[in-house]
Amino acid sequence: MIIVMPTKTSGEKSFISDHFGRCNFFYVYDSELKSGEVYINENKDGQGGVGIKSAEFILNKKADVLITPRVGEKALVVLQSTDIKVFASTDQIVKDLIVSYLNGELKELY
Amino acid sequence: MQVAVLSGKGGTGKTLVSVNLSYLAKDSVYVDCDVEEPNGLLYYKLKDTAQEHVNVKIPVVNHEQCIGCKQCTEFCEFNALAYILEKVRVFKDLCHSCGGCKLVCPQNAITEFDRSIGKITSGFYNETEVFSGKMNVGIESGVPIIKELLKKVLNKKKDVFIDSPPGNGCSVMESISDADYCLLVAEPSIFGLHNLKMVYALVKVFNKNIGLVINKCNDDDIIKDFAKANKIKIVGEIPMDLELGRLNSNGEIVSKYSQYSWLFKDILNNVYKEVS
Repeated sequence: MIIVMPTKTSGEKSFISDHFGRCNFFYVYDSELKSGEVYINENKDGQGGVGIKSAEFILNKKADVLITPRVGEKALVVLQSTDIKVFASTDQIVKDLIVSYLNGELKELY
Repeated sequence: MQVAVLSGKGGTGKTLVSVNLSYLAKDSVYVDCDVEEPNGLLYYKLKDTAQEHVNVKIPVVNHEQCIGCKQCTEFCEFNALAYILEKVRVFKDLCHSCGGCKLVCPQNAITEFDRSIGKITSGFYNETEVFSGKMNVGIESGVPIIKELLKKVLNKKKDVFIDSPPGNGCSVMESISDADYCLLVAEPSIFGLHNLKMVYALVKVFNKNIGLVINKCNDDDIIKDFAKANKIKIVGEIPMDLELGRLNSNGEIVSKYSQYSWLFKDILNNVYKEVS
């Protein structure tokens, strides 16, 4: 399973970004391989529609789950047309959030 | 001559000034470019009006012809196109109707349709020609409507008074683009000064000739001090007057009343002097 999170800084000790579209990095975690990769969000300074680009990015990464505090209206339209599940993040760093999710402690956001 | 009336802050008196100046000027044109909340027609109550829709072009993708090369989604500066689950999706609110996606598509899979985003109402009030744009509910940008409005008055041999939107965003920039003279309206308050500074910075970028009207004048010199420091010519002062406010809020053109018409005649004469 692929779990994606928008993050403020790079790496598994980062906090989650408040903005799905304008986050600095994405943390992409593969639960089978038990390893994560960091990607720079190249669209973060775009004029608009950056949430759509983020949604497109995580789709390309074949994400199954997105953990984020919120998703904008347009990105949500994209995500709802896919099988990606969106879960609400809590005030934890990336690696703890992954554990919480795998333990079934997070709530579905939409 | 084209005069754009603008102010950073809303409710400062753009419509008051532009309606009254165009009313007093002979054979003039009034254009309401505040397409998000137009209110010029509350004063210029038109009997016979013509209406036309303003359309923009929005791309439509033929999914049979599309080969998923993503050239269109990469081209779009505004992220209005996204490739999702092997299909190009169009987000029409983000589209700026540049037509670029259609040009770059190697498969000719993109066509365009007309989307109505608003309308323009026009007519005559005595000698004054009136144009007013209005955006449809839910549309994100009124800029195409403002462009359409300005196209209508571009070659007029009359004096044109443009009632700009508030603020200093894209729609304001569009509305002052052809103006010979920018008339800034400000009120003496801290908020009024702050927004005057913002709009002053904007007109300086555009290198426009400017004048300042102070509305709701009292004994506070906050705006006058700023004008002095920046060498901005004050072309008029409208006093804080309860009766003027009452008439205006009832949709009356205050220049019809002799006790107020001289106020705006003065401003108009000063503007003419400045422009010539």
